[in-house]
Amino acid sequence: MSVSLSLIYEQIKRELNKPRRISVGTLQRREFQRFAVASDDHNPLFFDDTVARACGYPAVVAPPLYLSSVMGWEAGPPQEALRLDGTPAADATALAIEGLRLMGAGQELEFHRPPTDGTEVVMEFSVSNVELKQGRSGALLVIEVQKKYLDGAGLPLVTCRENFIAR
Amino acid sequence: MQSAQLLFEDVRVGSVLAPLIKRPTTAQLFRFSAVTWNAHRIHYDKPYALVEGYPDVLVQSHLHGCFLAQAVMDWAGPQAHLAGLRWQNRAIAVAGDVLTCTGEVIKVELRDGLGFVECQLEERNQDNTLCAPGWARVRLPRR
Repeated sequence: MSVSLSLIYEQIKRELNKPRRISVGTLQRREFQRFAVASDDHNPLFFDDTVARACGYPAVVAPPLYLSSVMGWEAGPPQEALRLDGTPAADATALAIEGLRLMGAGQELEFHRPPTDGTEVVMEFSVSNVELKQGRSGALLVIEVQKKYLDGAGLPLVTCRENFIAR
Repeated sequence: MQSAQLLFEDVRVGSVLAPLIKRPTTAQLFRFSAVTWNAHRIHYDKPYALVEGYPDVLVQSHLHGCFLAQAVMDWAGPQAHLAGLRWQNRAIAVAGDVLTCTGEVIKVELRDGLGFVECQLEERNQDNTLCAPGWARVRLPRR
Protein backbone atom coordinates (compact mmCIF):
# COMPACT_ATOMS: atom_id res chain seq x y z
CA MET A 1 0.00 0.00 0.00
CA SER A 2 1.37 3.40 -0.96
CA VAL A 3 -0.31 5.32 1.88
CA SER A 4 -0.02 4.79 5.61
CA LEU A 5 -3.42 4.16 7.20
CA SER A 6 -2.04 4.81 10.65
CA LEU A 7 -0.65 8.21 9.56
CA ILE A 8 -4.02 9.20 8.08
CA TYR A 9 -5.73 7.88 11.21
CA GLU A 10 -3.59 10.17 13.38
CA GLN A 11 -4.22 13.09 11.03
CA ILE A 12 -8.02 12.65 11.18
CA LYS A 13 -7.88 12.19 14.97
CA ARG A 14 -6.42 15.67 15.23
CA GLU A 15 -9.49 17.01 13.38
CA LEU A 16 -12.02 15.42 15.73
CA ASN A 17 -14.79 17.62 17.11
CA LYS A 18 -13.59 20.84 15.49
CA PRO A 19 -16.85 22.10 14.00
CA ARG A 20 -16.80 24.02 10.74
CA ARG A 21 -19.74 26.34 10.04
CA ILE A 22 -20.81 26.43 6.41
CA SER A 23 -23.46 28.64 4.85
CA VAL A 24 -25.86 26.63 2.71
CA GLY A 25 -27.79 29.73 1.67
CA THR A 26 -31.44 30.15 0.78
CA LEU A 27 -33.18 26.97 -0.36
CA GLN A 28 -34.86 27.23 -3.73
CA ARG A 29 -37.56 24.91 -4.92
CA ARG A 30 -35.93 24.16 -8.27
CA GLU A 31 -32.86 22.71 -6.55
CA PHE A 32 -34.71 20.38 -4.20
CA GLN A 33 -37.30 19.50 -6.84
CA ARG A 34 -34.49 18.36 -9.13
CA PHE A 35 -33.23 16.22 -6.27
CA ALA A 36 -36.73 14.72 -5.90
CA VAL A 37 -36.88 14.04 -9.64
CA ALA A 38 -33.42 12.43 -9.63
CA SER A 39 -34.53 10.30 -6.66
CA ASP A 40 -37.63 9.28 -8.63
CA ASP A 41 -39.82 10.59 -5.79
CA HIS A 42 -42.84 12.52 -7.05
CA ASN A 43 -44.45 13.22 -3.69
CA PRO A 44 -46.72 16.29 -4.21
CA LEU A 45 -45.44 17.84 -0.96
CA PHE A 46 -42.27 18.68 -2.91
CA PHE A 47 -44.03 20.08 -5.99
CA ASP A 48 -47.52 21.37 -5.17
CA ASP A 49 -47.97 24.37 -2.85
CA THR A 50 -51.68 23.59 -2.45
CA VAL A 51 -50.96 20.10 -1.12
CA ALA A 52 -48.15 21.40 1.11
CA ARG A 53 -50.38 24.13 2.59
CA ALA A 54 -53.17 21.62 3.22
CA CYS A 55 -50.63 19.67 5.30
CA GLY A 56 -49.67 22.72 7.36
CA TYR A 57 -46.54 23.91 5.54
CA PRO A 58 -46.14 27.45 4.17
CA ALA A 59 -45.00 26.15 0.76
CA VAL A 60 -43.51 23.09 -0.89
CA VAL A 61 -41.00 21.32 1.35
CA ALA A 62 -37.63 19.77 0.53
CA PRO A 63 -37.37 15.97 0.45
CA PRO A 64 -36.15 14.77 3.86
CA LEU A 65 -32.75 13.60 2.59
CA TYR A 66 -32.03 16.62 0.40
CA LEU A 67 -29.79 18.60 2.75
CA SER A 68 -27.73 15.65 3.98
CA SER A 69 -27.23 14.24 0.46
CA VAL A 70 -25.65 17.32 -1.10
CA MET A 71 -21.88 16.87 -0.91
CA GLY A 72 -20.85 20.51 -1.13
CA TRP A 73 -22.42 23.95 -0.90
CA GLU A 74 -19.56 25.97 -2.33
CA ALA A 75 -18.80 26.58 -6.00
CA GLY A 76 -16.32 23.73 -5.69
CA PRO A 77 -12.70 23.16 -6.70
CA PRO A 78 -11.47 23.30 -10.32
CA GLN A 79 -11.19 20.01 -12.15
CA GLU A 80 -7.43 19.77 -11.67
CA ALA A 81 -7.98 19.90 -7.88
CA LEU A 82 -10.04 16.71 -7.87
CA ARG A 83 -8.53 13.43 -6.75
CA LEU A 84 -8.16 10.59 -9.25
CA ASP A 85 -11.51 9.19 -8.05
CA GLY A 86 -13.23 12.52 -8.75
CA THR A 87 -13.74 13.61 -5.14
CA PRO A 88 -12.50 17.04 -4.07
CA ALA A 89 -9.26 17.08 -2.11
CA ALA A 90 -9.87 20.28 -0.21
CA ASP A 91 -13.42 21.58 0.06
CA ALA A 92 -15.02 22.53 3.38
CA THR A 93 -16.11 18.98 4.23
CA ALA A 94 -13.27 17.04 2.61
CA LEU A 95 -11.67 14.35 4.74
CA ALA A 96 -7.88 14.11 4.79
CA ILE A 97 -7.76 10.66 3.15
CA GLU A 98 -5.45 11.30 0.20
CA GLY A 99 -4.68 8.00 -1.58
CA LEU A 100 -7.50 6.00 0.02
CA ARG A 101 -10.79 4.79 -1.44
CA LEU A 102 -13.85 6.15 0.31
CA MET A 103 -17.31 4.60 0.51
CA GLY A 104 -20.48 5.58 2.36
CA ALA A 105 -21.36 2.93 4.96
CA GLY A 106 -24.61 4.21 6.38
CA GLN A 107 -26.36 7.07 8.08
CA GLU A 108 -28.59 8.01 10.97
CA LEU A 109 -30.83 11.03 10.51
CA GLU A 110 -33.15 13.00 12.75
CA PHE A 111 -35.65 15.24 11.01
CA HIS A 112 -36.72 18.11 13.25
CA ARG A 113 -38.75 20.17 10.74
CA PRO A 114 -38.77 20.19 6.95
CA PRO A 115 -37.12 23.17 5.27
CA THR A 116 -39.27 24.88 2.67
CA ASP A 117 -38.70 27.05 -0.36
CA GLY A 118 -36.96 30.18 1.00
CA THR A 119 -35.53 28.68 4.20
CA GLU A 120 -32.07 30.04 5.14
CA VAL A 121 -29.80 27.15 6.10
CA VAL A 122 -26.47 26.85 7.88
CA MET A 123 -24.56 23.59 8.36
CA GLU A 124 -22.27 22.71 11.24
CA PHE A 125 -19.87 19.98 10.13
CA SER A 126 -17.53 17.98 12.30
CA VAL A 127 -15.64 14.71 12.23
CA SER A 128 -16.98 12.98 15.33
CA ASN A 129 -15.09 9.67 15.38
CA VAL A 130 -12.40 7.67 13.60
CA GLU A 131 -11.40 4.05 14.19
CA LEU A 132 -8.64 1.94 12.67
CA LYS A 133 -10.02 -1.58 12.13
CA GLN A 134 -9.01 -4.88 10.61
CA GLY A 135 -11.58 -5.89 7.96
CA ARG A 136 -11.85 -9.13 5.96
CA SER A 137 -9.78 -7.64 3.14
CA GLY A 138 -7.27 -5.78 5.30
CA ALA A 139 -7.01 -2.67 7.45
CA LEU A 140 -9.54 0.12 7.05
CA LEU A 141 -10.69 3.34 8.66
CA VAL A 142 -14.25 3.90 9.84
CA ILE A 143 -14.90 7.64 9.93
CA GLU A 144 -18.03 9.20 11.42
CA VAL A 145 -19.00 12.74 10.49
CA GLN A 146 -21.80 14.78 11.98
CA LYS A 147 -23.75 17.39 10.05
CA LYS A 148 -26.26 19.63 11.78
CA TYR A 149 -28.46 21.79 9.59
CA LEU A 150 -30.03 24.85 11.22
CA ASP A 151 -32.38 27.52 9.93
CA GLY A 152 -31.69 31.26 10.02
CA ALA A 153 -32.98 31.48 13.61
CA GLY A 154 -30.65 28.69 14.73
CA LEU A 155 -33.44 26.10 15.05
CA PRO A 156 -32.49 22.55 14.04
CA LEU A 157 -33.77 21.18 10.73
CA VAL A 158 -31.86 17.93 10.28
CA THR A 159 -29.12 16.14 12.22
CA CYS A 160 -27.08 13.58 10.30
CA ARG A 161 -24.45 11.12 11.49
CA GLU A 162 -22.78 9.48 8.52
CA ASN A 163 -20.20 6.69 8.44
CA PHE A 164 -17.57 6.25 5.78
CA ILE A 165 -15.13 3.42 5.18
CA ALA A 166 -11.72 4.41 3.82
CA ARG A 167 -9.22 1.78 2.65
CA MET B 1 -47.22 6.70 -5.64
CA GLN B 2 -48.68 8.42 -2.59
CA SER B 3 -51.34 6.44 -0.77
CA ALA B 4 -54.26 7.83 1.24
CA GLN B 5 -53.46 9.28 4.66
CA LEU B 6 -52.67 6.62 7.24
CA LEU B 7 -53.85 7.23 10.82
CA PHE B 8 -52.04 6.12 13.96
CA GLU B 9 -55.03 4.10 15.16
CA ASP B 10 -55.01 2.04 11.96
CA VAL B 11 -51.47 0.70 12.46
CA ARG B 12 -50.46 -2.36 14.46
CA VAL B 13 -47.14 -4.05 15.15
CA GLY B 14 -46.73 -6.37 12.17
CA SER B 15 -48.47 -4.04 9.69
CA VAL B 16 -46.52 -4.11 6.44
CA LEU B 17 -45.60 -1.31 4.03
CA ALA B 18 -46.51 -1.61 0.36
CA PRO B 19 -43.32 -2.73 -1.44
CA LEU B 20 -41.59 -0.02 -3.49
CA ILE B 21 -39.68 -1.18 -6.56
CA LYS B 22 -36.88 0.90 -8.10
CA ARG B 23 -34.83 0.29 -11.22
CA PRO B 24 -31.90 2.73 -11.07
CA THR B 25 -30.42 3.55 -14.48
CA THR B 26 -27.12 5.15 -15.46
CA ALA B 27 -29.07 8.33 -16.32
CA GLN B 28 -30.67 8.38 -12.88
CA LEU B 29 -27.34 7.86 -11.12
CA PHE B 30 -25.74 10.61 -13.21
CA ARG B 31 -28.55 13.05 -12.40
CA PHE B 32 -28.43 12.15 -8.70
CA SER B 33 -24.67 12.78 -8.65
CA ALA B 34 -25.19 16.07 -10.47
CA VAL B 35 -27.86 17.48 -8.14
CA THR B 36 -25.91 16.43 -5.06
CA TRP B 37 -22.61 17.83 -6.41
CA ASN B 38 -21.04 14.39 -6.04
CA ALA B 39 -18.15 14.00 -8.50
CA HIS B 40 -17.11 10.54 -7.23
CA ARG B 41 -16.47 8.65 -10.49
CA ILE B 42 -17.73 5.27 -9.24
CA HIS B 43 -21.27 6.60 -9.77
CA TYR B 44 -21.10 7.70 -13.43
CA ASP B 45 -17.83 6.49 -15.01
CA LYS B 46 -18.08 2.74 -15.69
CA PRO B 47 -14.44 2.21 -16.81
CA TYR B 48 -13.32 3.82 -13.56
CA ALA B 49 -15.84 1.77 -11.51
CA LEU B 50 -14.32 -1.38 -13.08
CA VAL B 51 -10.84 -0.21 -12.00
CA GLU B 52 -12.12 -0.10 -8.41
CA GLY B 53 -13.43 -3.65 -8.81
CA TYR B 54 -17.15 -2.94 -9.25
CA PRO B 55 -19.23 -4.52 -12.04
CA ASP B 56 -20.87 -1.21 -13.07
CA VAL B 57 -21.58 2.29 -11.74
CA LEU B 58 -22.75 2.21 -8.12
CA VAL B 59 -26.02 3.41 -6.61
CA GLN B 60 -25.13 6.25 -4.22
CA SER B 61 -25.38 5.61 -0.49
CA HIS B 62 -27.80 8.53 -0.17
CA LEU B 63 -30.01 7.20 -2.97
CA HIS B 64 -30.48 3.94 -1.06
CA GLY B 65 -31.68 6.13 1.81
CA CYS B 66 -34.00 8.08 -0.49
CA PHE B 67 -35.62 4.85 -1.69
CA LEU B 68 -36.21 3.68 1.88
CA ALA B 69 -37.59 7.08 2.95
CA GLN B 70 -39.90 7.10 -0.06
CA ALA B 71 -41.24 3.63 0.78
CA VAL B 72 -42.09 4.86 4.27
CA MET B 73 -43.64 8.18 3.27
CA ASP B 74 -45.65 6.78 0.35
CA TRP B 75 -47.17 4.36 2.87
CA ALA B 76 -47.66 6.92 5.65
CA GLY B 77 -49.24 9.70 3.58
CA PRO B 78 -48.63 13.46 3.23
CA GLN B 79 -49.62 14.45 6.78
CA ALA B 80 -47.11 12.07 8.35
CA HIS B 81 -43.78 13.43 9.59
CA LEU B 82 -40.63 11.37 9.09
CA ALA B 83 -38.85 11.83 12.43
CA GLY B 84 -35.88 9.52 12.01
CA LEU B 85 -34.21 7.25 9.48
CA ARG B 86 -31.12 5.09 9.52
CA TRP B 87 -29.69 2.56 7.14
CA GLN B 88 -26.51 0.67 6.36
CA ASN B 89 -24.98 0.08 2.97
CA ARG B 90 -24.51 -3.68 3.33
CA ALA B 91 -24.07 -4.72 -0.32
CA ILE B 92 -23.50 -2.67 -3.45
CA ALA B 93 -26.19 -2.02 -6.03
CA VAL B 94 -25.46 -1.00 -9.62
CA ALA B 95 -27.32 0.48 -12.58
CA GLY B 96 -29.73 -2.08 -13.98
CA ASP B 97 -30.46 -3.75 -10.64
CA VAL B 98 -34.05 -4.09 -9.48
CA LEU B 99 -34.31 -2.89 -5.88
CA THR B 100 -37.33 -3.68 -3.74
CA CYS B 101 -37.93 -1.78 -0.50
CA THR B 102 -40.13 -3.45 2.10
CA GLY B 103 -40.96 -2.70 5.70
CA GLU B 104 -42.83 -3.84 8.76
CA VAL B 105 -44.06 -1.96 11.83
CA ILE B 106 -42.11 -3.08 14.90
CA LYS B 107 -43.37 -0.55 17.48
CA VAL B 108 -46.30 1.81 18.02
CA GLU B 109 -46.07 4.42 20.75
CA LEU B 110 -48.15 7.30 22.08
CA ARG B 111 -45.93 10.01 23.52
CA ASP B 112 -47.36 13.30 24.85
CA GLY B 113 -50.49 12.64 22.85
CA LEU B 114 -48.59 12.13 19.57
CA GLY B 115 -48.60 8.83 17.72
CA PHE B 116 -45.24 7.40 16.64
CA VAL B 117 -44.58 4.27 14.63
CA GLU B 118 -41.25 2.51 14.13
CA CYS B 119 -40.59 0.40 11.06
CA GLN B 120 -37.89 -2.08 10.17
CA LEU B 121 -36.89 -1.66 6.52
CA GLU B 122 -35.07 -3.65 3.89
CA GLU B 123 -33.87 -2.93 0.39
CA ARG B 124 -33.04 -6.11 -1.57
CA ASN B 125 -31.88 -6.64 -5.15
CA GLN B 126 -33.22 -9.07 -7.77
CA ASP B 127 -31.11 -11.88 -6.26
CA ASN B 128 -32.66 -11.23 -2.82
CA THR B 129 -29.34 -9.88 -1.55
CA LEU B 130 -29.88 -7.41 1.28
CA CYS B 131 -28.37 -4.14 0.04
CA ALA B 132 -29.60 -1.78 2.75
CA PRO B 133 -31.24 -2.71 6.04
CA GLY B 134 -32.89 0.28 7.68
CA TRP B 135 -35.18 1.69 10.35
CA ALA B 136 -37.57 4.62 10.40
CA ARG B 137 -39.62 6.51 12.95
CA VAL B 138 -42.75 8.31 11.74
CA ARG B 139 -45.30 10.52 13.47
CA LEU B 140 -48.80 9.79 12.20
CA PRO B 141 -51.92 11.94 12.60
CA ARG B 142 -54.54 10.61 15.01
CA ARG B 143 -58.20 9.96 14.35
